[in-house]
Amino acid sequence: MRDIFFDLSVRSVRLNFMRSLLASIGIVIGVVAISSMGMLGANMQLSVKQQLSSDVNTVMISSDVVRTTSTAGVPSTSQGVTKSQLNDIKNAAGTNIVIPIHRTNSQFTIGSTDGRGSIYGFDPNDIEKFLTLSTGDIPRGANDAVVGSNIATNFNLVVGSRIKIGPPNTEDRPTVRVSGILPSRGFASDGINTDNAIIVPDTWYTNQYGDKDVYDQVNVIVKNVDTIGAVETAIDDKVNRRTQVIRISDASSRLTSITQTLGTITTFILAIGGISLVVAAVSIFNVMMMSVNERVHEIGILLSIGTEKGEVRRMFLYEAFILGIIGAGVGGICSLVIGYSVVSAMIGNTAYFFLPDSILYVPEGMLIGIVVCIASGLYPAWKASNMDPIDALRSE
Amino acid sequence: MDSIKTEEEMNGLKMGENPLIRLLDVSKVYHLESGDFTALNHVSLDIMENEFVAIMGPSGSGKSTMMNQLGILDVPTTGELLIDGRNVAKMTPLERTHMRRDTIGYVFQKFYLIPLLSAYENVEYPLILKYKHRDTSGKAADVLKSVGFDKEMSSHRPNQLSGGQQQRVAIARALVNDPKIILCDEPTGNLDRKTGLQIMDLLVGLHQEGKTVILVTHDAKIAEYAHRTIELDDGRVVES
Repeated sequence: MRDIFFDLSVRSVRLNFMRSLLASIGIVIGVVAISSMGMLGANMQLSVKQQLSSDVNTVMISSDVVRTTSTAGVPSTSQGVTKSQLNDIKNAAGTNIVIPIHRTNSQFTIGSTDGRGSIYGFDPNDIEKFLTLSTGDIPRGANDAVVGSNIATNFNLVVGSRIKIGPPNTEDRPTVRVSGILPSRGFASDGINTDNAIIVPDTWYTNQYGDKDVYDQVNVIVKNVDTIGAVETAIDDKVNRRTQVIRISDASSRLTSITQTLGTITTFILAIGGISLVVAAVSIFNVMMMSVNERVHEIGILLSIGTEKGEVRRMFLYEAFILGIIGAGVGGICSLVIGYSVVSAMIGNTAYFFLPDSILYVPEGMLIGIVVCIASGLYPAWKASNMDPIDALRSE
Repeated sequence: MDSIKTEEEMNGLKMGENPLIRLLDVSKVYHLESGDFTALNHVSLDIMENEFVAIMGPSGSGKSTMMNQLGILDVPTTGELLIDGRNVAKMTPLERTHMRRDTIGYVFQKFYLIPLLSAYENVEYPLILKYKHRDTSGKAADVLKSVGFDKEMSSHRPNQLSGGQQQRVAIARALVNDPKIILCDEPTGNLDRKTGLQIMDLLVGLHQEGKTVILVTHDAKIAEYAHRTIELDDGRVVES
């Protein structure tokens, strides 16, 4: 059998149905805002995490260009990973795969169309160690090149197409021949973004751009991902033993950094959603105060015939709770529909929508909605319970 | 020697020897912006168990203040009010609430039923307050029946009942926790003559069953039902 104070609250809500409904709509909006925004943020994080975690076994090493070292009073600034540092890295990395990388940006011309993209220089034998071609083969000749999916699509490239590398209107621009095409790789956490890149043999690269024994980046692909920390430490101990000359990072630290940033963005948009709950809280508070003010006489009767203050408080908190349950219930259902639509429209992928990290924002939003309602009812309930029964009975 | 029998003895009832309610030099002063207003001025009186007392007086004489004191809705500014042997001023607010619930039954002029509850639920309500659960013993229905309330009307809300029906429900509500004191504030004031007399018959019956009935009225004919009339004027007892 139900608590009579709960029954009284239900009947009060029914009696003022329209007013209660309108107040609950505020909670619906608040719950939808919080849940949908939360789910959007969570789906963004999950999506990015999934993309980046494929390269989680890669250690990236670059020159610590920020730091200026001083040797015998002569300042020098590192600009790349040197040959001797590369050797130290190889020694420290043991049997793991070490891939030195040259990288620059350049204009190029395909047919009569100009473009711009990244130029990577790899040892052709290294390409297959971390890239898979969709068409063609790795560079076999000195002037062969592999192109990324965007360039291939945008310029209608096929195996055998020719690309002139260098700014237009430059005489004797070198030409490479497309030997293979890479599939779309997206944003890669190993620092090698090939979609808008042309990958040439390292010999071709150093012939054109110099820097023969200096590399822009060195990647170490660790065979056993559990040893990645030990490999990083070994490299650090070997190369940075005297001064910090190289910077070592891995996909997990980048992943952490990116997910932290996305987490901050999610918190921020949740806070914006939270504003609508604040507005809803004011609305609930207003409705509760109206309910108390309209029922002063009834409160007087209740108190005069022996109702405890706590029971009067409970009655009004039930009323706030009922408004919260209605708002949160409807809000929860709307959140699922709206959240799904928003995630679908903005991320284009709903694969993660029903994962706990995402879907839990719905019950969380509902819970916050109910808590906000109850919190909004605290003062009105306190006011009702502390009325003087004589004054309350007098007011009709 | 034959002794003269009192009316109570003739009815098979006897008044208790100890006062159920005792006011000792009770004053109630309201501190208003216009100055202090003394609503009760050094009032001392005893009301014995199973007494039927009427409190009368003109408007502003202190009747309502007296009712608030007897109903423990308020405490004296000075003096002592003892109900059932307990000093009201020394009780905690919760103890006073429980005494209102268990020892006193209120019957108001305007009935003061809870509008959101049915007639039955209004009567059941004090039982719920006391036992913290719904009435499964059938007591609420029994008490409603005992005051002559039509069972068919039990599910009706107060606004669907006549004045007489509402007052019967109010009396049933006052009785359901079996209180020692029934406090009635102009119980017939909002009723026609015939219904008023029926309600008074009910109160007389309750007194005969052993209840202490205290009645505030300015209707002298109604006051005649009581065995003692306390006259108040300007916050003082002028006749008892």
